[in-house]
Amino acid sequence: MSRPETALAPDEDAYLSLSGLTKRFGGVQALAGAKLLVRKGEIHGLVGQNGAGKSTMIKILAGLVQADAGQIHIGGRDLADARPRDVEAAGIHFIHQERMLVPDFTVAEALFLGHEVRLGPFLARRRMQASAQALMQRYFGRVLPGNRLIAELSTGEQQIVQIVRALLQEPQVLVLDEPTAALVRAEIDHLFEALNRLRAGGMTVVYISHYLSEIEALCDRVTVLRNGQTVATVDPRHTSSREIASLMVARDLNEMFPARVASKGRPVLSARALGDGRNFQDVTFTLHAGEVLGLTGLQGSGAKELLRSLFGLDRITSGEVSIEDRPFRARSPREAAAQGVAFVPEDRRHQGAILEMSIAANMTLANLARFSWRGLLRPRLEREVATRMISELAIKAEGPDAVVASLSGGNQQKVVLAKWLTRAAPLYILDEPTLGVDVAAKIEIYELVQRLARDGAAILVLSNDLDELVGITHRILVMYRGRTASSIPAATTSPAALLDVILTGQSEIAHVVH
Amino acid sequence: MTNLILRHGITVVTVLAFAFFGWNAQGFLSVPNLASVLVNNVALLAIAAFAMTLVVRTGGIDLSIGTAIDMAGLAFVAALRVNLGVTIAVLAGLAAAAATGGFNALLITRLKISPFLATLGTLFIGHSLQQLLADGGNPIYVTAASLPPAFQFLGHGLILGVHLRIWLVVILALAMALLLSRSSFGRRLTASGMQVNVAWYSGLPVDRDIALVYVLAGVICGIAGVLLTAGVSVYVPFAGNAFLLNAIGATFIGTTLSRSHVANVQGTLLGVILISVAANGLLLIGWNFYWQQLATGMVIFLALAFTFGGRRLAGGTP
Ligand SMILES: Nc1ncnc2c1ncn2[C@@H]1O[C@H](COP(=O)(O)OP(=O)(O)OP(=O)(O)O)[C@@H](O)[C@H]1O
Ligand SMILES: [Mg+2]
Repeated sequence: MSRPETALAPDEDAYLSLSGLTKRFGGVQALAGAKLLVRKGEIHGLVGQNGAGKSTMIKILAGLVQADAGQIHIGGRDLADARPRDVEAAGIHFIHQERMLVPDFTVAEALFLGHEVRLGPFLARRRMQASAQALMQRYFGRVLPGNRLIAELSTGEQQIVQIVRALLQEPQVLVLDEPTAALVRAEIDHLFEALNRLRAGGMTVVYISHYLSEIEALCDRVTVLRNGQTVATVDPRHTSSREIASLMVARDLNEMFPARVASKGRPVLSARALGDGRNFQDVTFTLHAGEVLGLTGLQGSGAKELLRSLFGLDRITSGEVSIEDRPFRARSPREAAAQGVAFVPEDRRHQGAILEMSIAANMTLANLARFSWRGLLRPRLEREVATRMISELAIKAEGPDAVVASLSGGNQQKVVLAKWLTRAAPLYILDEPTLGVDVAAKIEIYELVQRLARDGAAILVLSNDLDELVGITHRILVMYRGRTASSIPAATTSPAALLDVILTGQSEIAHVVH
Repeated sequence: MTNLILRHGITVVTVLAFAFFGWNAQGFLSVPNLASVLVNNVALLAIAAFAMTLVVRTGGIDLSIGTAIDMAGLAFVAALRVNLGVTIAVLAGLAAAAATGGFNALLITRLKISPFLATLGTLFIGHSLQQLLADGGNPIYVTAASLPPAFQFLGHGLILGVHLRIWLVVILALAMALLLSRSSFGRRLTASGMQVNVAWYSGLPVDRDIALVYVLAGVICGIAGVLLTAGVSVYVPFAGNAFLLNAIGATFIGTTLSRSHVANVQGTLLGVILISVAANGLLLIGWNFYWQQLATGMVIFLALAFTFGGRRLAGGTP
């Protein structure tokens, strides 16, 4: 199976080949003759900036989107005009970037939808649940009770369900579009193990990710897309992540993390002995103007719930919070926003953006008072601000009137961020702000965070991307089993040391800081 | 070009309906007939359908619009019979309808009952209430002694030669269009209708807005109820329910006009015209009354098939 590798070698023996793919959406050229040649039994990375056309390519392969032109072959078989069912029959299975699960289903139902195990005319529920759990244990080292509802699962857990669901079909080719965006470290490790094991068993994998470290660790070859065209296919063992990143953006990436604001101002958010009676307790910290505070922890550590409670999404039952010296109490996002909190949620499709609405309408949604006069909207002002935001955040879109659904994942995320930027809040809470965002956009978002800080906002960032936390924050609050395990100055730590604290709840350089 | 035609499936079907009946039904295109269709079929249905449009825009549905219409008629007649004067009677009618909407609002935003079930409950309660208040469901006549000119005007008045009902439809249509597509309130409703969770995370007063919508829908139905009752000088129990299905039909036909499939005034108005014209035209070519609902159903399918089928052909947004 293994042969000497040369970058961009013409690949006659490609098992799965897509070539000359072209696709235009209205005024946006999503693909312009892109090519992807995948050998049997390899893990093939697909990278590119937000909007480069990765997901479009995958959707064309899946038969979900019709290409304007191009050929698709698998094992010599023509799949150009195949329907989704034909593609599945050919053994190609997908985990799309947008989670496609029915929220009211149980885990077991979602896993077996369309492939139910039956006992006579009845569904064999018990047997389905048992095998679902066994699979979950095998591939992810953890079990999601089969009778839990999809809607009750965290984003990461939903992702696990999707992956296991695809694996159940024993695919020939598995295509994963940013599968780890919502996973925590331990889950990612399990996924990689599972993929390696599957490759050893002869499965072919196409793997899309913005995390070049993952690509490096996992992939045999990588194809880089830029503006809808294939720029190169390289071997990550011979080409560094940095070079790959430069291929993606066609420019050198200098500083990933912009300089942090040096001075901090008055306290903006102070929390004393906070608890919600379930997920976290006795949390005390202070966040100052101009300061970026990181927050992290394993799933179940209470970090997420703490964040939610500060936006009125969950209830605080003990302790005190004040924002700019005024006692803070919120039972809804509306009340929280009125008291100066801006919140960028993690799940952009269900919490962040209204996909059917225009970019402009989404950007102004959290701040309609500013964009209306005596109850009537001011469309000119709305479009003007939206147009400015689009260029400031380098959002790739046709214009302020384009619907958000037509944007790539990363560009949708920028719209969600922009929504709260139109409102100058003293406190910004960002929940995984760079989820599914490419390198260049990440840098833009980091710069934005620093700009907010410079303008005197206090920023609380929850993230599982440890490089990001160490790179952009001043301090990092690590939660462990519902308590603050430690508060670490970012300058004195490294991602590895941070991971250690996250996993163990203990740190040698623990500072108990208020 | 093809896209434009397909997008406007209902417009095409409406034009076809006019052409078909104009050709086949004697007198269909005559001015008196069309004027009568406008006043007697289109106007009240349009007002009821506007109420429905508002609610459907928020992602809900109101099965009790007929009830609100009836409650308004009942209160209106009751007030007239005790000689409270036309002004007070109109206000009483609107208030009764608003109360019906308020009851829905309470069930939906406080008790978190789904709009379908909540308004279905209101429909049943309204039914019982009318039977109790109207002696087992008998019509209540506006007695001759209490028929001042103002009452006549409500039922049959003309302004500049145009029927009062038509004026009200035009005013309401303009106000609704302004509200839905130009106001901050309308934007919030649309957001709630599309993704209520996102609206909530954006700090919008979702419950307050939705409650207001149901009350407003009640008031709009109240207008229809007062006009209906004044037109025939009698309150007929359950008369309002006749509008329910057509209002739902018109509203959903109308959603095909919008790119994002939201309920909208222009579309609803076209839907109302289509349904009314079909009813009138069929009557004129001598179809049995009983066939009309079947025909209305076919028209709905036709408009929907035209729009959605066409969209798929054009390969547009899924
Ligand atoms: N249904 C659609 N309608 C209009 N434009 C679209 C549609 N789908 C994708 N696009 C556009 O095509 C381009 C490529 O999008 P695609 O989703 O393939 O990007 P991507 O490489 O997957 O990016 P990301 O990393 O952000 O997920 C983008 O500019 C996007 O706005
Ligand atoms: Mg994508």
